[in-house]
Amino acid sequence: MMTPSPKIQKEVIENCKAGDEKAFTEIVLHRQKRVFNIAYRMLGNSEEAKDLAQEVFISVFESIKDLKEEIKFDAWLTQVTLNHCRNRWKYLKRRQYFSSDSLDDPVETEDGSVPRAITDPSDNPEILLEKKMIQQLIQRGLLELKEDQRELLVLRDLQGFSYEEMGDTLGLPEGTIKSKLHRARMDLKEVLERFTH
Amino acid sequence: MDCEKVRDRFSSWWEKELSPSEEKVFKEHLSSCPKCKREFEQFEKTMRWLHSAGEVEVPEGFLPKLHKELEERKRAVPEEKRGGKWFYFPISIKLPIQAGAMVVVVFLVLYLTKTIPMEGARLKEPKQTSSSLSVQEKPGGALTRSAAPSPLETPPEAPGPKGVEQAKAPVPGEGRLEEAPVPQIEAEVKKREAPARSTEMLGYQAVDSKEAARASVPSPGPAKIEGELAVSEKSRVASKPPQEIVLRISDRKKVISLVHELVKQFGGEVMTTKGDMVLASVPMGSFREFKKELAGFSSSGKADRLITKKHAKGSLRLQEGAKGEEGDEKSKESTSPAADMERRTIVRILLVEE
Repeated sequence: MMTPSPKIQKEVIENCKAGDEKAFTEIVLHRQKRVFNIAYRMLGNSEEAKDLAQEVFISVFESIKDLKEEIKFDAWLTQVTLNHCRNRWKYLKRRQYFSSDSLDDPVETEDGSVPRAITDPSDNPEILLEKKMIQQLIQRGLLELKEDQRELLVLRDLQGFSYEEMGDTLGLPEGTIKSKLHRARMDLKEVLERFTH
Repeated sequence: MDCEKVRDRFSSWWEKELSPSEEKVFKEHLSSCPKCKREFEQFEKTMRWLHSAGEVEVPEGFLPKLHKELEERKRAVPEEKRGGKWFYFPISIKLPIQAGAMVVVVFLVLYLTKTIPMEGARLKEPKQTSSSLSVQEKPGGALTRSAAPSPLETPPEAPGPKGVEQAKAPVPGEGRLEEAPVPQIEAEVKKREAPARSTEMLGYQAVDSKEAARASVPSPGPAKIEGELAVSEKSRVASKPPQEIVLRISDRKKVISLVHELVKQFGGEVMTTKGDMVLASVPMGSFREFKKELAGFSSSGKADRLITKKHAKGSLRLQEGAKGEEGDEKSKESTSPAADMERRTIVRILLVEE
């Protein structure tokens, strides 16, 4: 899980609203990791995430003047990021971007196509230690979920958002967030079980 | 606690939201239910994996690329403002403007389609006048004149400095001038002829180059055309010499009514009666008799005929000109009713009470 980002000072946001590029650069430096990681977990592709993060910050620079409450900058930034992710996800889905990247798809080999077999990392101590493999598994599991479930898991379990922050970002009450989050976790568990058996 | 409730609390246990008593019941159920225990283990593993997934580092050159992208957009914005601003207007503004533009285009097309054929007709006109010298009114108002002028038209010889002065007299036979008093005739003629002036002049020039030369207007401008038209119009009037008769009378009313009757008897027409003046047109042939009869109304038994020298000279010239240059053509005209009108003379009868 991510380390908490330092809070951006109100003056920096105000300067950015006035068109100060230095203030904007400061905001980018403080929030680029969060934006990029949300995008990466939501889209499952580093290149796509990079392009999306660029678009997010350009949108921020162009529309930050419309932000009324500087204190809600982080919630607003996350909303902008998620909106871009939703739009991009729709676009990629229409083009079957992820269909060939699914774990359920057969693996093409020289002998022909055979079903993709993924062993449970916990059964194999060598693979278990491969953090990269776990990350890949989690990422593929996330992409199998519904978009709103993925958002909840990314914000809470990967980005460490508080329920209050999630409420501000998603506009949902805490109880709803908790119940939806639990359903998302259970679904991810099912997906991962399916992958490892 | 049943299995469903225990499984619903997996997240609460993970978030450490269960109270000690709830946690106790929760753990007791898991130890007694292998299915729930297995589910819980899978859940816990998923959560551990989720939380073990570290953050991905931002690719190198992210910020420089972002600055570059922003610079490019800044450069692109002015171009959009210059050329593509229209596309950002709301449809509520664009639609009426486009509709208005369409209406303007339609009217422009209609206007052009009406004016272009007229210009074409004007261009064709000289050819037509040279091939067939007939009196013809073109759609554009162009009037060509034949070598044999119509009875109502001015003989080409008419215009001249003196003829212009003679124009002060009214023209008999010209219906439109009949009711007009003498000084107003000229102005009215000008007014009524105004719409067809330019085209009429074109006709004159095309047919009779002599006349054009006399008028010394090789290429008439608007002002010159007006002047020339006035000359031509006046020349028509001048072709009919005015007669002026002074009657010395005692009873004005009676004499006026008698004059009216006399004019009618001679097949003439009273044009206007104003105060002591009666303006009438009388056939030229019966003018002498008419004059004699008129002299009978005079208290002195004589009618004083006054013709100003200028008028006399002008009329003589005109008559000579008409005889010399148009003799044959005039003889042809004499058979037509309009020719009879031509042979009328206008008489101004002045009544002087004694």
